[in-house]
Amino acid sequence: MEEIVLGIGITALAGALATVAGAAEDTESDIGSQGDPNSQVQLAPQMGYIHRIFNKAVSGEPPAYGAWCVIGAGVAWALMQINYNPALAIILGSVIAVFVQGIYCTSGYLGRIASLAKFQQPVYIDIIKSLTPVTMAHAFVAIFCTVAMCYLMASVLHHPFALPLLGLVWGIALGAAGSATGNPFYGKERQYQNQKFGAGVPISASGNIVRYAEAGQRSSLDNGWFTTKFAGPASGICFGLIVFLELWRTILFEELLNGWGAIIIGIILILVFTLIDRWVEKWGRRTYGPYTSEEASS
Amino acid sequence: MTVKMEASAGKLSEKTLMIYGIVVALVGIYLTQINGFTGVAVFSFFGGIGAIAALWWGSDTIKHLCSYGLGTGVPSAGMVAFGAGAIAMIAGTKFNLIIPFVGISLVPIVTLILAALIGAVIGYIANNIINMNIPVMIFSLTKLSIVGALTMLGFGAMCTGTFSFNGLVTGGLSLQMEPAAQAAANGAQMFTVTVIPEFAGSLIGGATLAVIFFLGAMALQHPFNACLGPNEQQDRTLMLALEVGFLSMIVVAVMSYAFLDIVSATIGLIVALIGWIYTYKQYIALSKRDAYEWLDAKPIKEVGGDQ
Repeated sequence: MEEIVLGIGITALAGALATVAGAAEDTESDIGSQGDPNSQVQLAPQMGYIHRIFNKAVSGEPPAYGAWCVIGAGVAWALMQINYNPALAIILGSVIAVFVQGIYCTSGYLGRIASLAKFQQPVYIDIIKSLTPVTMAHAFVAIFCTVAMCYLMASVLHHPFALPLLGLVWGIALGAAGSATGNPFYGKERQYQNQKFGAGVPISASGNIVRYAEAGQRSSLDNGWFTTKFAGPASGICFGLIVFLELWRTILFEELLNGWGAIIIGIILILVFTLIDRWVEKWGRRTYGPYTSEEASS
Repeated sequence: MTVKMEASAGKLSEKTLMIYGIVVALVGIYLTQINGFTGVAVFSFFGGIGAIAALWWGSDTIKHLCSYGLGTGVPSAGMVAFGAGAIAMIAGTKFNLIIPFVGISLVPIVTLILAALIGAVIGYIANNIINMNIPVMIFSLTKLSIVGALTMLGFGAMCTGTFSFNGLVTGGLSLQMEPAAQAAANGAQMFTVTVIPEFAGSLIGGATLAVIFFLGAMALQHPFNACLGPNEQQDRTLMLALEVGFLSMIVVAVMSYAFLDIVSATIGLIVALIGWIYTYKQYIALSKRDAYEWLDAKPIKEVGGDQ
């Protein structure tokens, strides 16, 4: 019984860490402009829209966060092998991972923008100076929380995987959660706020992303203002729920039916979420219907 | 899928890059064998240099493969290279036989041949069974899987000081003593000492190889992924390959503190840091050369568009 109570406590703590990690990860990738919305940022100069948005061409978020978290967990593991205190080891591991992440960001921006010289897109060096530290700070929070969560799983819950492998698996999951949940807010909402509401993104508007603010010009930091409020919490809840429910079903139902209990509960959870998703989709379509132009609706 | 886009024709041809890449990678990995002869691990960092050479060559191969309209497939190419390379590398390390009269191990050569075979099979499946129909697919995946295998072998050798399978799965040895018998005469006790290898603290058992896998895969795909565009220049892309290679080497050097003595690990770290600072500066200079303009805190210069 005591073991289960401890397990539930760790589950709650890991879920909380994952929520923070998810929110930080998505905010980082939106300020840095990573993942699928970045294709529009890449396209903009080719369509004649010179911009001051960060263009962090590293790779998709899942492999990128898999890499950062596995570096953090790997270095933390190595330092713990030579008897560093786990807390210190995790912090140092995350610092080195963030260092690597920051360098990848700067080289990605410089490389992509320099290769767009044909379209007269200048390299705005102040973008690198002001935005890289911001993305690094968010990435540190995301990596530290994920590695700490993995350490809890490895040491307290006695997960059979070694710490770096856990970091890899959960890093990829973190990137996938942030990419799937958070990116629509940035790519489909924020980048196209200059289009008619609900109109979708017609081909003719490709690359015509929001580059000017109410007063002055926007950089990716302004996208962070928007996505921190909407995309970040959504990604946080998504990743937090994934981690919490995953651990919860394992802790409570692993003893049942020789371990099959946890698997059956997992399948039931998937079915429940599929039904909820379907219901939300049908409700959305019924309530808002297909897009009609203003003349037709009035 | 078979529309060929422009890939910058550089000064260095693909063949030249391949020869330099393979030779330097093999020589670097073989130089770590001096560790075994001398009994000190200070030569481990040569493995990292070999790995960087392989990455440098691989980033150019990715460029030629991905110029066939695989824009979003650039990171995937890095992953597939290391997936194929991982199998070859782990299998290859089992062949730790010393070639007579030459005194060098079979491991790197066998790894290279295995990687080429596995890469060719994967390339054949992708091209002829999944029907991707890219002319350079089979040869490119063969080369990329060699790059993946040699990079992992090089960084693995740098991290642990050896490239034999036993060295990669055994973290340390612990001694277990059990009282065996008591000699009757003077009461002296006898013990049986059993040597128990610790697998959890090793490169493969501790999953540190996963870190090397991802460090390598990111470093392999990043140069071309970051520099693609109409004004991509070969020297800038290759300089970025060296830069991310040394950056990966820094992380490997930090992790090697768990396996090597302090002096050897520090030598690796210093070499990596010096190499990284130099190549990063060079890369920024080359970006400045190729950029349309290099502006600090200046407004958008409109060239067209609606606004």
